[in-house]
Amino acid sequence: MSLAFDDYGRPYIILREQGSKKRMKGLEAYKSNILAAKAIANTLSSSLGPKGMDKMLVSPDGDVSVTNDGATIVEKMEIQHPTAKLLVELSQSQDAEIGDGTTGVVVLAGKLLEQALTLLDKGIHPLKISDGFDRACDVAIKHLETISEEIDIQANEHEALIQAACTALGSKVVSKRKRELGKIAVTAVLDVADLNRKDVNLDLIKIQTKTGGSVEDTRLISGILIDKDMSHPQMVKEVNDAKICLLTCPFEPPKPKTKHNINISSAEDYKKLYQQEQQYFVDMVKLVKDSGANIALCQWGFDDEANHLLLQNNLPAVRWVSGTDVELIAMATGARIIPRFQEITPEKLGKAGSVKEVQFGTSNERMLVIENCQCTKAVTILIRGGSQMIVDEAKRSIHDAICVIRNLIKDNRIVYGGGSAELACAIQVLQYADEVSSVEQYAIRSFADALEGIPSCLADNCGLNPITSVAQAKARQLQENNHRIGIDCMELGTTDMKEQRIYETLSSKKQQIQLATQVVKMILKIDDVIAPDDY
Amino acid sequence: MSQFLQPTILLLREGTDTSQGRAQIVSNINAVQAVADVVKSTLGPRGMDKMIQTGPKVTISNDGATILNLLEVVHPAARVLVDIAKSQDDEVGDGTTSTTLLAAELLKEAKPFIEEGIHPQIVIQGYRKALELALEKLEGFSINISRDSPEDKRNTLLKCAQTALNSKLLANTKQFFSELVVSAVEKLDPNILDRDLIGIKNVTGGSVTDSFLVDGVAFKKTFSYAGFEQQPKRFENPKICLLNLELELKSEKENAEIRIEKPEEYQQIVDAEWALIYEKLETIVKAGAQIVLSKLPIGDLATQYFADRNIFCAGRVAQEDLLRVQKATGGQVQTTVNGLNPETFGTCGLFEEVQVGAERYNLFKNCPQSRTATIVLRGGAEQFIQEAERSLNDAIMIVRRCFKANKIVAGGGAIELELSRYLRHYARSVTGKTQYIVNSYAKALEVIPRTIAENAGLNSIEIMNKLRQRHAQGGDEGRWYGVDINGQSGVCDTHSSFVWEPSLVKRNALCSATEAACAILSIDETVKNPKSDQDTKMKPKGQPGRPPMGMRR
Repeated sequence: MSLAFDDYGRPYIILREQGSKKRMKGLEAYKSNILAAKAIANTLSSSLGPKGMDKMLVSPDGDVSVTNDGATIVEKMEIQHPTAKLLVELSQSQDAEIGDGTTGVVVLAGKLLEQALTLLDKGIHPLKISDGFDRACDVAIKHLETISEEIDIQANEHEALIQAACTALGSKVVSKRKRELGKIAVTAVLDVADLNRKDVNLDLIKIQTKTGGSVEDTRLISGILIDKDMSHPQMVKEVNDAKICLLTCPFEPPKPKTKHNINISSAEDYKKLYQQEQQYFVDMVKLVKDSGANIALCQWGFDDEANHLLLQNNLPAVRWVSGTDVELIAMATGARIIPRFQEITPEKLGKAGSVKEVQFGTSNERMLVIENCQCTKAVTILIRGGSQMIVDEAKRSIHDAICVIRNLIKDNRIVYGGGSAELACAIQVLQYADEVSSVEQYAIRSFADALEGIPSCLADNCGLNPITSVAQAKARQLQENNHRIGIDCMELGTTDMKEQRIYETLSSKKQQIQLATQVVKMILKIDDVIAPDDY
Repeated sequence: MSQFLQPTILLLREGTDTSQGRAQIVSNINAVQAVADVVKSTLGPRGMDKMIQTGPKVTISNDGATILNLLEVVHPAARVLVDIAKSQDDEVGDGTTSTTLLAAELLKEAKPFIEEGIHPQIVIQGYRKALELALEKLEGFSINISRDSPEDKRNTLLKCAQTALNSKLLANTKQFFSELVVSAVEKLDPNILDRDLIGIKNVTGGSVTDSFLVDGVAFKKTFSYAGFEQQPKRFENPKICLLNLELELKSEKENAEIRIEKPEEYQQIVDAEWALIYEKLETIVKAGAQIVLSKLPIGDLATQYFADRNIFCAGRVAQEDLLRVQKATGGQVQTTVNGLNPETFGTCGLFEEVQVGAERYNLFKNCPQSRTATIVLRGGAEQFIQEAERSLNDAIMIVRRCFKANKIVAGGGAIELELSRYLRHYARSVTGKTQYIVNSYAKALEVIPRTIAENAGLNSIEIMNKLRQRHAQGGDEGRWYGVDINGQSGVCDTHSSFVWEPSLVKRNALCSATEAACAILSIDETVKNPKSDQDTKMKPKGQPGRPPMGMRR
């Protein structure tokens, strides 16, 4: 910021470190904000749709990730610009709320800003533009609701859910196996879903990754998989009809929490102490054994002494099981977590069909699978894949699919994808624009144009001619009064998205349009930027 | 010759910046102007937002006090503006921008007088006189709102909340939020109206209209230990036990020392420790508590113990949340469980843990003695919600004020113009310099409608002429004409279009703006001590007249 001078020519400082601050005002501020945000949207636009491309992101530590997921891309880009950061948060909040459609929301916001820029050049007041966008948004949302269709999630072995999951997985690197993965995701969600309350606690679905094998080897374990192995290599590798004892105390002599130390003055005392300690171990193992447990899982570690004793007593045990795993196992097997050995009772044990240690490939890594649990309320999806990058991306993709299914369980209304819903809304908004007599008309019309940007971006990414294909689709929607006409991305020969079975959830689409409009409104309202002048 | 060379008398430390006299006053006025210019464009329903980056944090705001605070003003005179904005914020919560603008405008009007050589004290006197008259008139003009029926009262509150929200990001959903705010304030104890008892929780994600009001308390799931998921997550009419007690296996005293002789006794000590914690837990369970909340941690042992007995627990509940739970459920916070009395338990209609966005929230609903409310705000981006929170805060403050004082005036610049008209009229009846000064005060008041019009992209000169003409016609018809940002003509009766503000806001704004202006006018010397450790890096680049110190080649 430049210095101010008083009437006598003396400079004065008003703000702290005034010289090092930068200030942008008015049109300059709007434009710089819009351009920054657009840059982000442009980066993401090529990731949209089934033929969207992936981005490779290298972190400062040299970790490489390859992804197609909008929220992940913008998060890892480590964006500095304050306005662009708004878009990052936009994408993340879509991720938090819906889980899917994170790319679409940013692209839509970018298109809206692009339109706003031309409107600003025409000299329309930014708040008029944002008012217009707001009204158009309302119209679009209402129309979305009218064209949405309820689906029966139960029918035909949850076929509709699987299709919706496939749509979500379609744009990802795992799209070749989308059907299989979709099925896995659907089964997993239905296993943990509370269909009466329409609530799905996603914490109950554990997604575990393991490099090696191929994506086809991904499977659903109706139980729990923990990345641990038996504490002693000679312990039995498989326990059937397992009675699990879940401990949150170490296999060690108990220690008082009060500070303590032991003074030993004679050799006898030392022996006595040793015996006492031994006795503790024996007692502990005995207590576990007596309760009828045939496997012990412990949140803490145990002494070699204890390990040896456990092996001798033929009691397989696992150590250092994490707190969240302990909780999941407790939920799944109906076990009660036991805080000390004295409290072990047969009722507190959890029951599972089998607990076994499995080995993957030639590597020495082993995992523990707990299956056929007494009350299956927790499931694990084990993702396999050739490399860490693929596995990570598959994990994100499955997460998206799971979110879509959860949203459908909450609200079973869908709209058709492939840009058809956006086109239908655009047509509706355009009609509405003609009824508005004030300056907002221009903004509303531009909103429709921005909505059309989504199908055109889709077509572009698929190598189709965006202008002709959007024009055709739009014409057909109007002629046939059929809101299901979209872009034929997969070249299946039909543009009717119902036939292609491209389902998207209504809640996701609604959220996309609302969030994008909200952020654009916010960016348009800023006319003054004061920032440190270091970049 | 030597008698002419007077020795320099060093009175102050080297580097001390002194400036004085008329030039100082003018210089101060200019500085204030520069600061006020920053917030100028945020005024009114078409006001814009400012984006301010401080370090890694970005704030987007329309709130005058917030912006001024973030600007880090260091100029001593200009700081006065920051302070009045803050005092307006603390006192009434809204109208911070207009206070700042008014103060700056008063100073601007005073500048020609100072330059022409009128003594600042005369200007100050004139301003004080004008303020006195304006306040008197403000009382006379303000309208008593009938609040015989609850609906009327509610309507008034809604209108005031909407006016406060008009200029904010939430303007398009003001109907929705004014309902929310009014309902929240109605929940409070009408005699105290403690602002702290309305909690605002932010959850990113969702649309703003997904925000909701909980007639009770809501807080985010606290950190939990293994076993937490096994606890029941829904209760009807539960007994809620509030504690300020750590439920964890731990040493009772830091420096205790126990000597034992035999190894057998070792186990006893261990057992004793367990017995202590179990005793505490057992007392709670026996007393019949179903929900246990504590300000201090609840350990994994206790979590699992409660899970086994179908009790819900949450540790590390924030102080303010616990306080609100206490108010809402009628329970009392206990610091010990010895002699735990079921009478100290609170209750509510329904307790539930629900998913809001990506977070899980604990909701205590339908509280019997509900004297508290929580607004859960949703929205796209973090900054968006933060700004929404500030806006709601303004609205809550206004509604609170309205709740008691039942006098309102019309906004949109109408009241300022009416006062201005009155003062101009009055000025004619006085003789001497005061006439000019009262006139200037009247002119300064017009800054509010003028800025609203300018920000809305209207032709401010034309609008001002129209408004002055309306007001000059006098009578009740013309009195409430203010700037209309939507209509064709640009002016309308803002009273009948329900742009209402509590008269208290205006009163406070006028007072503090005038006081600030007078304070700045009465400063004729600034003595600024140099910073004790002069850091050359801190100095602004390219400042003329001050060579960097200590530079050596």
